[in-house]
Amino acid sequence: MTGSLRSPWFWLSLAALALLGLFVLYPLANILSASVIGPGESGWRRLLASPKYLEAIRNTLVLATSVTCIATLIGVPLAYVTARYSFPGKGLIALLPLITLVIPEVIAAQTWLMMLGNNGLITRFLRDFGIRLPSFYGWFGLITSMSFIYYTYVYIGVVAAIGKFDAQLEEAAQSLGTAPVMSRLRVMLPVILPAILASALLVFTMAVGNFAISMILSHRLPLLSVVTYQAAVAEGARDITMQSTLASVSVLIVMAVLFLNRRIVKRGRYEIVQGRGARPRPLRGLRGLAVAASAGLVVVISLLPLISIMLGAFTASRGPVMQWGTWTLDNMLRVFVTAPQPMVNSLLYAGTATVISTGFSAVVSYLVVKKPNLLTPFVDYIAAIPLALSGTVLGVGLLATFHGGWLPLSGTASIIVLAYVVRRMPFGMRNGQATLQNIPNSLEEASISLGVPPVQSFFRVVLPVMLPAIASAAILTWTTTVAELSASILVYSGGRETLPIQVFRLIDSGLMAYASAYGLVLVAVILLPIIVASKVFRIDVFSSR
Amino acid sequence: MSIDIENLTVTYGQEKVISGLTLNIPEGCFFTLLGPSGCGKTTLLRTIAGFIPAAGGAIRFSGQDVTKLPPHRRAIGMVFQDYALFPDKTVNQNVAYGLRARGETGAAAARKVAQALERVALGHLGDRHPAALSGGQRQRVALARAMVIKPAVLLMDEPLSNLDAKLRIQIRETIAELQREANITTVFVTHDQEEALAMSDLIGVLNRGAVEQLGSPQAIYARPRTGYVADFVGSANRFVARLTPAQGGLIEADLGPVRLFATDAREGAVCAEGLLVIRPENLHLSRAPRVGMQNLPARVRSRQYLGSRTSYRLDIGGDLNLVADAHGPGHDGFMPGDQVNVAVDPAQAQVIAA
Ligand SMILES: Nc1ncnc2c1ncn2[C@@H]1O[C@H](COP(=O)(O)OP(=O)(O)OP(=O)(O)O)[C@@H](O)[C@H]1O
Ligand SMILES: [Mg+2]
Repeated sequence: MTGSLRSPWFWLSLAALALLGLFVLYPLANILSASVIGPGESGWRRLLASPKYLEAIRNTLVLATSVTCIATLIGVPLAYVTARYSFPGKGLIALLPLITLVIPEVIAAQTWLMMLGNNGLITRFLRDFGIRLPSFYGWFGLITSMSFIYYTYVYIGVVAAIGKFDAQLEEAAQSLGTAPVMSRLRVMLPVILPAILASALLVFTMAVGNFAISMILSHRLPLLSVVTYQAAVAEGARDITMQSTLASVSVLIVMAVLFLNRRIVKRGRYEIVQGRGARPRPLRGLRGLAVAASAGLVVVISLLPLISIMLGAFTASRGPVMQWGTWTLDNMLRVFVTAPQPMVNSLLYAGTATVISTGFSAVVSYLVVKKPNLLTPFVDYIAAIPLALSGTVLGVGLLATFHGGWLPLSGTASIIVLAYVVRRMPFGMRNGQATLQNIPNSLEEASISLGVPPVQSFFRVVLPVMLPAIASAAILTWTTTVAELSASILVYSGGRETLPIQVFRLIDSGLMAYASAYGLVLVAVILLPIIVASKVFRIDVFSSR
Repeated sequence: MSIDIENLTVTYGQEKVISGLTLNIPEGCFFTLLGPSGCGKTTLLRTIAGFIPAAGGAIRFSGQDVTKLPPHRRAIGMVFQDYALFPDKTVNQNVAYGLRARGETGAAAARKVAQALERVALGHLGDRHPAALSGGQRQRVALARAMVIKPAVLLMDEPLSNLDAKLRIQIRETIAELQREANITTVFVTHDQEEALAMSDLIGVLNRGAVEQLGSPQAIYARPRTGYVADFVGSANRFVARLTPAQGGLIEADLGPVRLFATDAREGAVCAEGLLVIRPENLHLSRAPRVGMQNLPARVRSRQYLGSRTSYRLDIGGDLNLVADAHGPGHDGFMPGDQVNVAVDPAQAQVIAA
């Protein structure tokens, strides 16, 4: 580490630290401090005095808890069944991760409304038979739709854990005289429990931070992210005290969960048994059919959004009233011809953010993994902080920090790009670090020993080896930034609507047909790079997930 | 180019791994750093290359101070344990990489690349990617890549340790041949003493970051200066002995149950106690005492048949044990429990400072 002051890597680390300090730490510090010493009465006193805010916190915790429980109850059995048995239609379930990835939450919420809302397809169909469903707004809709989106995270996490579980352990327990079901529970549960808990906690934080579904379906039910958003929109950046206080509350909730998560992961590391995974056993007859039917039902429900926006995008409407069965191209015409600005904006902002985020993550992970110095641990730590910030919190922070002042970004396109970059960077970092850990140092040293200076060696030798991983990280970044809503809706200004923002506004106005058309284009924009990458370049996009 | 290392100190954080090491490697020499795991071989090699900064002292290449020179300007060639071939480039591109960095491209460079690959008998594989080569082939590409730039010094860190035994011997010869042909000063790191003895002009045995003994393979093997060297290079019978001077420059070593005459290799250090060192192959077994040698009665305790030789463990009284290797016809003729005679030539038994 001697002579580090002269190395280019030190200065690069310093630059990265400065950027992270400015765009991550500073806004976060602003939120936390404004909640205490912001203008007006202390935010925390106002919070404790307001029944509405307290109810919002309670509702959010109740909602997140119920969603976590239901998502776990769907995800774990599904994972177990797919990992251990083969049955007709099992291939369909492999689609699950793809579905959650490509369907933005705002569209999922929209389609649930189109099916089960007051004027929804299923609601009207059942009404004809005299069956009245409870209103989809409020608890019923929130819990149903979130559970059916978030169970996939449980599924993905648990499938991986079961895959690593050694079937021999289970057989050993059976050979000692325990009945199969009991032995399974006794032996397997402790081993995969850390994975279940970790993914459940992930679901919990996502439910706490969820904006799109909460906003669209909560109606008069106060929720933390909704009241935070409303406080920010109503008061703008002038009175930042209340919005900062509410944002601080969700930061604290998420930090508590992440702290729990760390402890679980730490313990779990020793418990995962490496070994031969069990061969899936075929399930035939009635049991096979039953399993296939219930698994299929889950997949179909997950696919519902795609089907319904496809129908909706080509269905005529008069104002908020969908004229199901009457087809039209007007909606699509609006997206591409009459009002194409949201599409153009989305492509532009997400494209820029993808380039910046991918580049920054690649360089910073390189510094952290290959050129550690006094600064890199801090860089690594600060770069992970956005994982603990929901989009709403980040939006409030950016708005409070860069509204006016010496760096007046608010009102420009750059603050939207900034929000995208900050939200996605931790994922890019994680991916980049994992890749770099697999590239031996000797590769770069070989290049240097052959006479190529260090920085050029990075570009000529390390970068080409990283490229496939960078490409798949870029695609993931693209798919998630294009769909980003919760932070951008706080920081965007008139004329800078993106596709998700446009969909959100149209749903808010009840214009479902137009919303479907913009939504369909959004899904296409998300899907296209994935298809191109996996078909043309043979990049396994999901390997880095 | 000669390599002169003077009073070199290298630290990792607070820990001094090398302190005050001085070493001169003459031009064109095949120098081997030999020592057990963790003794600092890699550290020293990487400091010579410039990847690890020296905390003190100096490194000179033919008199020119390179201590502060970054590695890419030191004109070194390096061969890595894991080969470090660039996976996205073909064999040809790998070998041409260093030439390109020196501004050499085009037909002349292509000819050099072809020649370098020809030298390691890989002329026909230039268009392959490293993933499509065997371990031995990869190692030879790495060698060609390091040699083609005509480095001033060639540095190799356990380049053979990932290869199987047969291949190791084969590539060992290739390396030695190429080095002699090009007359490049070479530093070779290994913990395999056989490799060191077979390839080197000069061996430095490293112990905890210090050179314990520097010498030709013959000197290191036949006249180890310390118990550490005697133990690490080959195997040796070692006994702490009380010493009394005897006639003819010899010294008498008292082991307790037996006394032996031995050559004094203490190099001036006079002390009452020392180490008696005898290589197993210098203990000669027979049924009857031999004329002109010192003879000890012994009993065979166990034996290991090793094909070209048999290794015997012998009791010579007290708690003392000897290992003797028998070669030649009938080397496996003694059985456990047999009473045998062990003959030792005083010239082949040495006393060193304890
Ligand atoms: N990056 C590092 N930080 C701290 N200590 C280190 C580092 N690298 C090596 N060491 C220590 O320095 C000492 C010498 O290590 P070195 O790698 O030079 O050994 P070596 O002789 O090459 O061993 P081997 O034969 O196992 O490769 C060891 O005690 C090791 O633990
Ligand atoms: Mg080493």
